[in-house]
Amino acid sequence: MPLTYAEMNKLYTVKRVTGKDEVRAHLATLGFVEGSQVKVIQSIDGNLIVDIKGVRVALDESLARRVLV
Amino acid sequence: MIIALAGNPNSGKTTLFNNLTGGSQYVGNWPGVTVEKKDGKLKGHPDVTIQDLPGIYSLSPYSLEEVVARQYLVNEKPDAIINIIDGTNIERNLYLTTQLLELEIPMILAINMIDLVRKNGDQINVKKLENDLGCKVIEMSALKGENALEVAEAAIQMVQEHTGIPQNPHVFTGSVEHALAHIEESIEPIVGSKGLRWFAVKVFERDERAIREMGLSKEILDHVESHIRDCEKELDDDAESIITSQRYDYIAKVMLECVKKKRARGELSVSDKIDKIVTNRILGLPIFFAIMWFVYYVSVSTLGTWMTDWTNDVLFGEIIPPAVSTFCESVGMAGWLESLIVDGIIGGVGTVLGFVPQILLIFLFLAILEDCGYMARIAFVLGRIFRRFGLSGKSFIPILISTGCGVPGIMGTRTIENEKDRRMTIMLTTFIPCSAKTEIIAMITTEFFPGNVWVAWSMWVLSFLVIIFSGIALKKTKLFAGETAPFVMELPAYHFPSGKNVALRVWDRGKHFIVKAGTIIFSIVVIVWFLESFSWSLQLLDPETQLDQSILASIGGALAWIFAPLGFGSWQGTVAIITAEMAKETATSTVVMLAGKAGITSLFTPIAALSFMAMNLFDPPCIAAMSACMREMGDRKWGWIAIGYQFMLGYCLSLVIYQMGSWLFYGAAFGFGQIVAIVIIVAALYFIFRPVPQKQINTQTAEA
Repeated sequence: MPLTYAEMNKLYTVKRVTGKDEVRAHLATLGFVEGSQVKVIQSIDGNLIVDIKGVRVALDESLARRVLV
Repeated sequence: MIIALAGNPNSGKTTLFNNLTGGSQYVGNWPGVTVEKKDGKLKGHPDVTIQDLPGIYSLSPYSLEEVVARQYLVNEKPDAIINIIDGTNIERNLYLTTQLLELEIPMILAINMIDLVRKNGDQINVKKLENDLGCKVIEMSALKGENALEVAEAAIQMVQEHTGIPQNPHVFTGSVEHALAHIEESIEPIVGSKGLRWFAVKVFERDERAIREMGLSKEILDHVESHIRDCEKELDDDAESIITSQRYDYIAKVMLECVKKKRARGELSVSDKIDKIVTNRILGLPIFFAIMWFVYYVSVSTLGTWMTDWTNDVLFGEIIPPAVSTFCESVGMAGWLESLIVDGIIGGVGTVLGFVPQILLIFLFLAILEDCGYMARIAFVLGRIFRRFGLSGKSFIPILISTGCGVPGIMGTRTIENEKDRRMTIMLTTFIPCSAKTEIIAMITTEFFPGNVWVAWSMWVLSFLVIIFSGIALKKTKLFAGETAPFVMELPAYHFPSGKNVALRVWDRGKHFIVKAGTIIFSIVVIVWFLESFSWSLQLLDPETQLDQSILASIGGALAWIFAPLGFGSWQGTVAIITAEMAKETATSTVVMLAGKAGITSLFTPIAALSFMAMNLFDPPCIAAMSACMREMGDRKWGWIAIGYQFMLGYCLSLVIYQMGSWLFYGAAFGFGQIVAIVIIVAALYFIFRPVPQKQINTQTAEA
């Protein structure tokens, strides 16, 4: 399911990041790759603050939807 | 010898840079503070240059600042690289490291923030890490100064002894390694052996830019393409993702061997708990606005006012001018010279300096909010609202920087990847009050609305609303329509504000202010004094009675009709608006000089003062910011569009404030001016709330 539907404070594993563009590559350098553990810390209308690889990253809904967990 | 500092955003490169060079570059607790490369000489080593690069997550360029860093590292090849990584967050930081190692430039891995690592109870096995990565590793703390110089000295030693070239670690495995070896074999005759692995990986990823720069022939590319395809087929993924995931697999292995984390994953840290509150859906914005109210309350309305009153009324009122006058008279100085010194320079420059305590207080608060990490969260909180009008949350960072000065704010837009978003942010970012505009707010509030705790803050709120509503309206025009760039940003961990950083930040601003007071503002004050004191026939005028015959009065008087609808159609108000375009501070010094002994409350009614303030806040920024805008837009046409928009907005807003304000609150009759104001309001509402024109929806889908 997309990360936007993930429950807060629960650990998930990234299954896939959809799309094929430079944004996806950028997400990958921030740690959003298959197998990474991710936790949603805050969620406002689908905009998320997540913990990925020990770093807090803010991302908007359009990106969060592309991260499948 | 050149040593480059490379690392992720917010990993402490600039802190280390300041440490090594004795410089005072601004350090911010959010990503993207350094957007250009900066260099300085290493302390005690005049032949060694330290090069600070913008923070990057990888060598695959995504935003403009990443392009800057990559071009430098790959093409200009420094003698050594110090790769700074955030020790509390090694895993993500090592991603860039695996790429840097491939460049085969002598390199040291500096694990920064080691004090925090120890505090967290984490353990890093340095020896093992050195073995695994094949490069020297040093633990350090740039903030505490621990080991900072040792890192630089180790790098110098490497260059002198021609050692330290990383032994390529075994990052890639299986068929990928096989394909890379094949590519290396094919391209080695062309690109040479140095950094061969880097070039091979780029060919594998089909990185167009790198391939173009290498100048590979079609035959070679076709030859290696089959190997890349085989890998893609075998691993069922595209080449770029294969490389990325193998890098992370490798890092995970290294982490397992070398790093022991104490805090179990999944536990909430203190940072997370604070984030839960300050980025809360309902409370986030009110908390931010309340904090800003408090900042203005203390800085402008209470503590700041007491300090400013003292500097203005006592220091530059009762102490300095009489003392200087007495001195001038005792040495028998000519009357005009005394007038220049006392009325012109001390009166004018003194006014600007008089408000320094208020400005410094605001900066002190902002520096604390920035340094502790709070401001980066606001980008997230506001991102939701910004998105709605089509700007990405990233636009907030330049706006934040502009609260100090619009020029670096405009430069800060370079972190925005989308060109249209970038242009719009350049255009809107200077609406937020900078230090000079804050001075105008401080003066008008203190002089016309003493004791009112809302005026200063509401000007700040107004500037926010102007940015947001401008964004909404502009996004619907043909010039800016388009997809909104996605927003993703790393949030730094909260930390207790560092006294040094905060002081450096405040000093940086204060210094800027005082230097400006001594140069550009000084010159403008002298010019204004001259034009005010002489008539066209160069006759010295009596400041009490003859000011109306001055050169300035006739110039201002000729243009005053422009500002009459705004409530300050006097020559004094006109002149102040014009001089403020040179530097906004001079709006205050000019009105004080021109008002003379009667005081500035004689020049404006309160509502006209409000309108005068709004005009200065929202018309085009000073000449320095306008030229930065021209430069960053990269196109004169866009520069003029921005300046034209700003003038129109400032003028209309002031007109509405004056006309509606005097009708609603000061008992003026309803007349032509009010009709114009209402027309403006209706037009503004139309541009904000009209539906997105159909034509643009079509072009958007066509583009997509």
